[in-house]
Amino acid sequence: MTGTSLLAAAAGNLLPTVTPAAPVPAQVTAVEGSLLAFVVLTALATALARDVLAAVIVFGAYSLGMAALYTFYRAPDVALTEAAISAGVTTVLLLLTLAKTTRIDHDVAFESVNVPAVGAVGLLFGGLLLTMGDVPAVGSPDAPVWSNPDVTQWYLSESYAQTGVDNTVMAVLAAFRGFDTFGEAVVVFAGGIAALIVLHREVFA
Amino acid sequence: MSDVRPDEEAVRDAAPNETSAEADAGAVDEGDADDVPPHRARSRSGRYDSDRRQGTPYTESQVIMPTVKIVAPFAFTYGLFITFHGAGSPGGGFQGGAIMAAVVFMIAFAFGIEATRDWLANTVVVALAVGGALAFAGIGLIPVARGGAFLQYDLLPIPVKYGLESVEVFGIATIVTGVLMGLFFLLARGFASEGTGFGEGGGDESEEDATDETGTAANDADGVGGDLGPSGSDRTPAADGGER
Repeated sequence: MTGTSLLAAAAGNLLPTVTPAAPVPAQVTAVEGSLLAFVVLTALATALARDVLAAVIVFGAYSLGMAALYTFYRAPDVALTEAAISAGVTTVLLLLTLAKTTRIDHDVAFESVNVPAVGAVGLLFGGLLLTMGDVPAVGSPDAPVWSNPDVTQWYLSESYAQTGVDNTVMAVLAAFRGFDTFGEAVVVFAGGIAALIVLHREVFA
Repeated sequence: MSDVRPDEEAVRDAAPNETSAEADAGAVDEGDADDVPPHRARSRSGRYDSDRRQGTPYTESQVIMPTVKIVAPFAFTYGLFITFHGAGSPGGGFQGGAIMAAVVFMIAFAFGIEATRDWLANTVVVALAVGGALAFAGIGLIPVARGGAFLQYDLLPIPVKYGLESVEVFGIATIVTGVLMGLFFLLARGFASEGTGFGEGGGDESEEDATDETGTAANDADGVGGDLGPSGSDRTPAADGGER
């Protein structure tokens, strides 16, 4: 996701724009660039940290960086979810689980790099890079996800008229895709029940 | 918060125990260091720092407690705002419910998980989770009873906007809050090992309260005096509880 955004933003300059509309310059501001660097670095540190506790903490920092990045890309609903669930709740639950286990003291901070694994990941990354030329620039008005008249524009124009709700994301989640959301809520509920079963408990508290 | 006192005593009891355990472990380290390369000596000695870090029960912190006292009302209000104002601003039941559950986590870390567990009884957690699921299904089924489709909001007796809001508030937010709090308390208590031949066995789960920490610390204080080896080796970490 991060590499995609960076490269797509960079590609905005390189690729000729199809329409005569104003070309979208690649605007990787200082804040955005440092956030991207922060996210990539913390992701690498999470993968390479030898100590599990350190990995969990760095992963929380990664999620916070992602939340800031989502805010920057104007997806505040996703940012809120990422900040609350991933940076907050998941980190706490992982820490609680770690507190139940035995933690080994490590002298070295990072794992040694597994060369074949890095090679495989590099191959996948290179393959994904080849598709970057067709990805529209970040924020481009010609991006199909935005200019699509049947989905995005339809929801944007119709959601208020049909539901009376300003927040289109919530209108889609609760009304247009309400049955899916019901399924998701039941999945969350079932997750709690499954945790009870796995831990051989009959009460939560 | 009433069992804060015994916890504090447990900390004081455990403090000398920690130092002696570390001294023991250090002695073992030096003994083992003869036949291994120096850079591997510590990792191969099998010394776990779980006794030192995770054996400590809940500690009253003069920094964390006032901070949480100040922050918690605002954070909880923010969670309520995110939940109730999801129709007009970013957010909704899922995000707001997670924030409200995170406030409970904060309170538990500041004032002790056991105290919070006693404060929020199991019935509250279960009522939130089950009530949320039933409310969502109920709101969805009312239009069905009136001859429409599942979640067909315009058949509800309230405006469509409030139908969505009630699903977010009474359905999603309550499920998420209840389940997350339940997961927190469950993971803090851990695996119920009796009858499975797994883990430490024994230990009546209903009595694993703050008294358990005092008991564990007292047992360790007894054991350290006689044993030469690392005192923590015969103690399963699961018995120590996650409180710290």
